[in-house]
Amino acid sequence: MRTHSRASRRLVGLAVVVALGAGTVAGCAEDPAEPAAAGVATAGGVGRDGGTTLTVGVFGAFGLKEAGLYDEYMKLNKGVVIKQTSIERNENYYPQLLTHLGSGSGLADIQAVEVNNIAEITATQARKLVDLGRTEGVRKESFLPWKWSQATTADGRTVGLGTDIGPQGICYRRDLFAKAGLPTDRTAVGKLWAGDWRKYLAAGKRYQARAPKGTVFVDSAAGVMAAITGGNETRFYDAKGKVVYKTNPAVRRAWDTAAEFARAGLTGRLQQFTPAWDQGFANARFATVSCPAWMLGYIQDKAGAAGKGKWDVAAAPRPSNWGGSFLTVPAAGRNTAAAARLVAWLTAPEQQAKLFERRGSFPSAKAAYDLPAVSGARHAYFGNAPIGRIFAGAARGVPVQIVGPKDLVIAQNLADVGMLQVDQKGRSSKQGWDAAVKAIDNALDQ
Amino acid sequence: MAGDTTTVAPSRWEGAPVPEPAEGGRKPRRSRLHRWDLRWSPYAFVAPFFLFFGVFGLFPLLYTGWASLHRVELTAPDEMEWVGLRNFSRLLGDEFFWNALTNTVTIGLLSTVPQLLIALGVAHLLNQRLRGSMFFRVAVLTPYATSVAAATLVFVLLFGRDHGMINWALGLAGLDAVDWQNGAWTSQLAVSTIVVWRWTGYNALIYLAAMQSIPHELYESAALDGASPHQQFLHVTIPSLRPTILFTCVVSTIGATQLFGEPLLFNGGAGATGGADHQFQTLGLYLYEQGWVNLHLGRASAIAWAMFLILLIIGAVNWLVARRLRRSS
Amino acid sequence: MSGVTPGRRAGWIGHAVLALFAAGSLFPLVWTAIAASRNTTRLAQTPPPFWFGGNLLRNLRIAWTDANMGTALFNTVLVAGTVAAGTVLFSTLAGFAFAKLRFRLKNLLLLLVIGTMMVPPQLGVVPLYMLIAELSWTDRLQSVVLPTLVSAFGVFFMRQYLLQALPTELVEAARVDGASSWRVVWHVVFPAARPAMAVLGMLTFVLAWNDFFWPIIALTQNGNPTVQVALTGLGRGYIPDQSVIMAGALLGTLPLLLAFVIFGKHIVGGIMTGAVKG
Repeated sequence: MRTHSRASRRLVGLAVVVALGAGTVAGCAEDPAEPAAAGVATAGGVGRDGGTTLTVGVFGAFGLKEAGLYDEYMKLNKGVVIKQTSIERNENYYPQLLTHLGSGSGLADIQAVEVNNIAEITATQARKLVDLGRTEGVRKESFLPWKWSQATTADGRTVGLGTDIGPQGICYRRDLFAKAGLPTDRTAVGKLWAGDWRKYLAAGKRYQARAPKGTVFVDSAAGVMAAITGGNETRFYDAKGKVVYKTNPAVRRAWDTAAEFARAGLTGRLQQFTPAWDQGFANARFATVSCPAWMLGYIQDKAGAAGKGKWDVAAAPRPSNWGGSFLTVPAAGRNTAAAARLVAWLTAPEQQAKLFERRGSFPSAKAAYDLPAVSGARHAYFGNAPIGRIFAGAARGVPVQIVGPKDLVIAQNLADVGMLQVDQKGRSSKQGWDAAVKAIDNALDQ
Repeated sequence: MAGDTTTVAPSRWEGAPVPEPAEGGRKPRRSRLHRWDLRWSPYAFVAPFFLFFGVFGLFPLLYTGWASLHRVELTAPDEMEWVGLRNFSRLLGDEFFWNALTNTVTIGLLSTVPQLLIALGVAHLLNQRLRGSMFFRVAVLTPYATSVAAATLVFVLLFGRDHGMINWALGLAGLDAVDWQNGAWTSQLAVSTIVVWRWTGYNALIYLAAMQSIPHELYESAALDGASPHQQFLHVTIPSLRPTILFTCVVSTIGATQLFGEPLLFNGGAGATGGADHQFQTLGLYLYEQGWVNLHLGRASAIAWAMFLILLIIGAVNWLVARRLRRSS
Repeated sequence: MSGVTPGRRAGWIGHAVLALFAAGSLFPLVWTAIAASRNTTRLAQTPPPFWFGGNLLRNLRIAWTDANMGTALFNTVLVAGTVAAGTVLFSTLAGFAFAKLRFRLKNLLLLLVIGTMMVPPQLGVVPLYMLIAELSWTDRLQSVVLPTLVSAFGVFFMRQYLLQALPTELVEAARVDGASSWRVVWHVVFPAARPAMAVLGMLTFVLAWNDFFWPIIALTQNGNPTVQVALTGLGRGYIPDQSVIMAGALLGTLPLLLAFVIFGKHIVGGIMTGAVKG
């Protein structure tokens, strides 16, 4: 923290003089204990003691730092200092990353990429990223094959290594289920809808018929839609890279089912990841939510102590994946070799297992699934549910999904324009679909 | 705008350089310097602005203009494909653009008009002798000190459908809860509320500063003529404030046209769509969505230039109206 | 408070209206503080909390440590101070020239100034970033200072103010006495412009303090953040507690409010005494 470069010190001094017009305060800029000096260290440089400073740029709740993995690495590798920069939302993070990649400056040594953007990154930015497939200690066989291939270019360069994936379960509230006369045991709950999302809908109708006052079955129609589409091999693009969401029957089925949730009044008419949704958790407004592994921590935080022991996890109707991320190393960085080594270590099965154990992000390294930390993992907040077994089962069943460059834009407009109209504005399924298609057409047209 | 300068009487000081007497004869050095100073100092005064603007403003502006004639994506900003005026012509048929334009106008009216009227009233009150005037001045300015992000964060909670304080208060009054975000008018009203809240005190302060410079004698002579305080406000204060009022109108109009942060964040962080129906998507937000979400820099540049042109038109109309008003008065 | 304040004393109605307006202005901020003193669960309940809970200090501390706030505050004071000083100085000079001097291309240049205000700021970002990168200024404070060191708004503001507040005769009189332009600026323009300079300085300072869009592109949290850049890490998910996010919002605003309270007298004083005495 205390490293500082001369030039920037001089700049600080100069700026102070300019700012205050007189030299009165300039004296304090020469004080080596000046707090500003700590901030003026150039990122990614060589530290005072000759060690290497590595910066990691992430978005949202990435968990690497919180799980203590940086500290562990720094302990193992004396002289390496790891700093993290976090931007709350991927939609702010991603354009900034593209801008920085475009100009080859302002980049962290390691940059995270969300799965919805990985196809675009791989297709358009590959030559600005280091090929991590050749890094020492990286073993292709450790990873789920589809996760590996998502960040691999046509000519075989692997520009991102998978951190986590998002196999889904259904998180549900035992107390509400009991009051509505539904089973509460997670195996029995899973059987309610095993194999078919329409059964999930049927269970919702059963719930709603005897629902405790002020509660609904599910948070949002868009959440249901995302969960269902996450289980299909073909989603928005076909294998040739053509946009096919409009005619893809799987997407339509997901849409129709989700719209029926809205029409039947089973949803809380909430929009995910907004303050109102958070409040829904806190107030136990809804009995179920499709939850990828990484959402467990979120639910725990938002539902708070009052929800402990009331939430539980059951298997989803069909295996499905939502979200997950990658780590990349920009070639413009100053310490690409050291950065690649860190990425290799962070994404190795052992570390992914720790991340799951401590933060709930499910490993993308299939070699981790047999480690006891994963296979035997239980979650105290969720009634001690065997989350290792539940999510590993889902992960095994997830088909190799075709990703496309504009997945994020398509998914967002389907959810935040189309399905939101159906869910919150009471529009018909067709009106909502047409509105979403129109918005997507406009968004994809360069 | 230029018309305002006619109110300033031309003088020797601001006159064109006086032609040198032909018969020559050595002018004292001081006088030459003086003339030189007269002639060039105006340029020296405006130079810093144009210098910095040239480096950090003009280049982005020209680049944007150039980019608007190309297909260019944020994924590869240096790969441009010439498309001529296509990015502009397609705006004509782009219903999202027209929707955003309409929203910008309605939100602009909903926020600017009350904002300036209230500000004028508040400034008038602040201009009187007050108990605790210091407190009022600081209090009135706190919204401006609050960042858009912080302000909108609070208002999103206050305007919440299920647990917001406003709906709670409506409930106390026996009224139904309002789904602020999903209604076209309600969402625009809510966004406008944030704008009015943030900027009214600011404009009041600008008016106050200008009111302080109105010579006291004007009020005294008006009072001698038997003008009531109300009449003094209308016939002394308002006319004296004309340049400042014009200024705030121009700035507020520009601000309203570029409105971006409030509608973006009012969406609770759920993207740049401006609601399920794009019901509060402004031009600034649409520009952002095209450039930073859809990554189409060329299209976004065209929207930016379209906004620029719209403002120029508004400015021209404004100027014509102002000139006519001045002539008639 | 001598100055030119119209002698009228505000009646109780005036006081009441102002009090109401002040309450409306303060309430959202006060409620931010209330929200920052609670926790997520309490914030989600109906009716919402109306009084402070016990978590304020704890939430402020978390927000402070997680957001690199010490560096950020120092940087922000530096940036906002420099930008405000530069803007006030350059705007006053240019505003004076546009208001009271005559020179070639004046109207065209003025239109250009006003025109630059109309360029939507979101779009200049990509080319501006390319420029900053070319100069190797990423994550350096000059990358956020220099592009905002002059402001078209400021020039226009000072011009409109001086049109009204600076009597042309005053300038002429100084001129007749043979004063150089710089002396005129120093002895005539600056005194007359003082109230507006105070206002512009404060407004610019606040604007620079809260600037967000460009700094998050140009600066990083670990390198050289400003307050707003530092706060971007305090998002949902990363910091799970809504109250902590509110505490962060409060932290970003409080120093400004403190400055208002401390320097407010000077600013207001500048407004009151600076006016031209005829």
